[in-house]
Amino acid sequence: MAHADEAAIFNKDEEKVDWHDKALWFVRQKRDKSAHKVKGWEELRNYASAIKANVLSNLDTYLLQFEENAQKNGVTVHWAANAEEHNKIVHGILQKHNAKKIVKSKSMLTEECHLNPYLEKHDIEVIDTDLGERIVQLAQEPPSHIVLPAIHKKKEEVDVLFQEHLGTKPCDGDPQYLTAEARKHLRSKFLKADAAITGVNFAVADTGGFVVCTNEGNADMGAHLAKVHIACMGMEKLIPQEKHLGIFLRLLARSATGQPITTYSSYFNKPEPDKEMHIVIVDNGRTEQLSREDFRASLHCIRCGACMNTCPIYRRSGGHSYKATIPGPIGSILSPGIDLKKHSSLPFASTLCGSCSDVCPVKINIHEQLYKWRQVIVKEVPQPIVKKNVLKMAGNVLANSKIYGFVGKSSRFMLKHTPRFMVYSKLNAWGKARDLPEVKGDNFDEWYKKRKKNE
Amino acid sequence: MSRESILNAVKKNKPDGLPLPEINLDFFDEDINLVETFVENLKFVGGRAVQLDNEALLDEEIKKLYPNASKIVSTTKLSQLGTIAISKEIDPHTLEDINLAIIKGELAVAENGAIWVTENDFIVRALPFITNDLILVISKNDIYLHMHQVFEAISKRDRTFGVFISGPSKTADIEQCLVVGAHGAISLTVFIV
Repeated sequence: MAHADEAAIFNKDEEKVDWHDKALWFVRQKRDKSAHKVKGWEELRNYASAIKANVLSNLDTYLLQFEENAQKNGVTVHWAANAEEHNKIVHGILQKHNAKKIVKSKSMLTEECHLNPYLEKHDIEVIDTDLGERIVQLAQEPPSHIVLPAIHKKKEEVDVLFQEHLGTKPCDGDPQYLTAEARKHLRSKFLKADAAITGVNFAVADTGGFVVCTNEGNADMGAHLAKVHIACMGMEKLIPQEKHLGIFLRLLARSATGQPITTYSSYFNKPEPDKEMHIVIVDNGRTEQLSREDFRASLHCIRCGACMNTCPIYRRSGGHSYKATIPGPIGSILSPGIDLKKHSSLPFASTLCGSCSDVCPVKINIHEQLYKWRQVIVKEVPQPIVKKNVLKMAGNVLANSKIYGFVGKSSRFMLKHTPRFMVYSKLNAWGKARDLPEVKGDNFDEWYKKRKKNE
Repeated sequence: MSRESILNAVKKNKPDGLPLPEINLDFFDEDINLVETFVENLKFVGGRAVQLDNEALLDEEIKKLYPNASKIVSTTKLSQLGTIAISKEIDPHTLEDINLAIIKGELAVAENGAIWVTENDFIVRALPFITNDLILVISKNDIYLHMHQVFEAISKRDRTFGVFISGPSKTADIEQCLVVGAHGAISLTVFIV
């Protein structure tokens, strides 16, 4: 199904859409407040963008440097070309330790690789420990936002879900009570876990260390209690030097939620004695995206979610409507690179207003890439006949000033004099769920000419 | 292993070399009161700041704030309140019911209310997370303006595990309602001496 059809499903519950829209806009406003407090914010963004561009242009060198330093620190480094290899490597490590109970902190990469179902198939229990991720895991849904995985769920739904799975008491969706119950439930999982899996926010080439950011402390609870820590990272997570963490840690949380920094920014360098630390470096389509000159900057992404919070389409269509691991504007430029046909409607799920590019902490030209993907897609993926013909007609009208004037005049006449039930009939997509503007006499051209005459 | 094929693909597909920018820290320089800014940001992230003129008063103040704490781990000589001794060798699972951990923070960051602590300071990696309440003690002379200065200050260290802690653990995953006390410590008090 195309994005617009999926979005129509989300839009059936008007009240919920309004809430979703406002909740995310509120996060965007918090981001603004936080960013404006930082002296040199735009310079931070410029540096971050330039550093990431440098990383991509030397990615092989930095990967080797990172590997060498991580190995020196006693960390085992694995390489996975695709999702299947990634899952096999992780499973292999778990098998070696006979690990059956796993706790996992947030990792969009493991979502992308569908690690959970793979491990579950091999009789391994995987518990997502981020509260939002645990909620969607219990609901058997994918996350709908990369920072706020359960933003599409109302508290009453969480209440019912917890009653069913955790045996909690009905509480009218009291977040305090539900969070406290989740803490108890997940603490017992942390204490019994054989191994912990985390994502990686930044991997540092010159130290071989990596940084994981959370607000809940779940990555640390998992990693420091279990015997084995497996950190899974997309290969673009590298930064050259430790001092560059200063730039990225200043940008990440402010862009994501408006916090000045996440509660925990944990910097792992060496495993503890008698414990193991593994890093799995994953390609899964990234080297291919690297080859696309117009789209490679999408690999700068640090997964803050700011582009989602600001996007007028995302806010009103919900993350699930994108049918991709990474939804929203950034997902709409990443996903077509993975499967052009399946995700061909995503670059059209945008007004091209450019707000995503304006808030992006690493200055990805998201809206320009959306436009470029559209050009690729209309050439390579068959488009609906209606859309093709309508656009052709519109092209003819816009190219000829006489026809344009005539069409404009008749449209204004129609809009003024046609009965309401006809204007807002099914045939007029522009009249769906909104009122068209009131027609007031002249168009601009006529108004301007009259004004000139009277001067 | 796909190591070689990945590296070859990167070599083939990467763009021409782009320079690594030199960072000019002048952009970020500000003449502000570091202690005040730190305290303000610490409060913003849900932490509590207590300024002490005399570090000898530390234990007295802690007792006032946490009168019921009985299972206490202190890893700093500044406090004698510890009731449970720990060493590197202990099983971190045994710390599950700790009420309070008292740890010396190495340095603090004014711009975000964070404190940098490492394994050297808390001995057992799980300690600052698994404890119910957390106390970090910092010197007012160890507060830095921003993260760039901090990374310079910690650049020559033995790297094992370290963490920036900014406030108590929290979540807003249920309808964006902020709840303090997710999986890590449910409160953070920072003593500035």
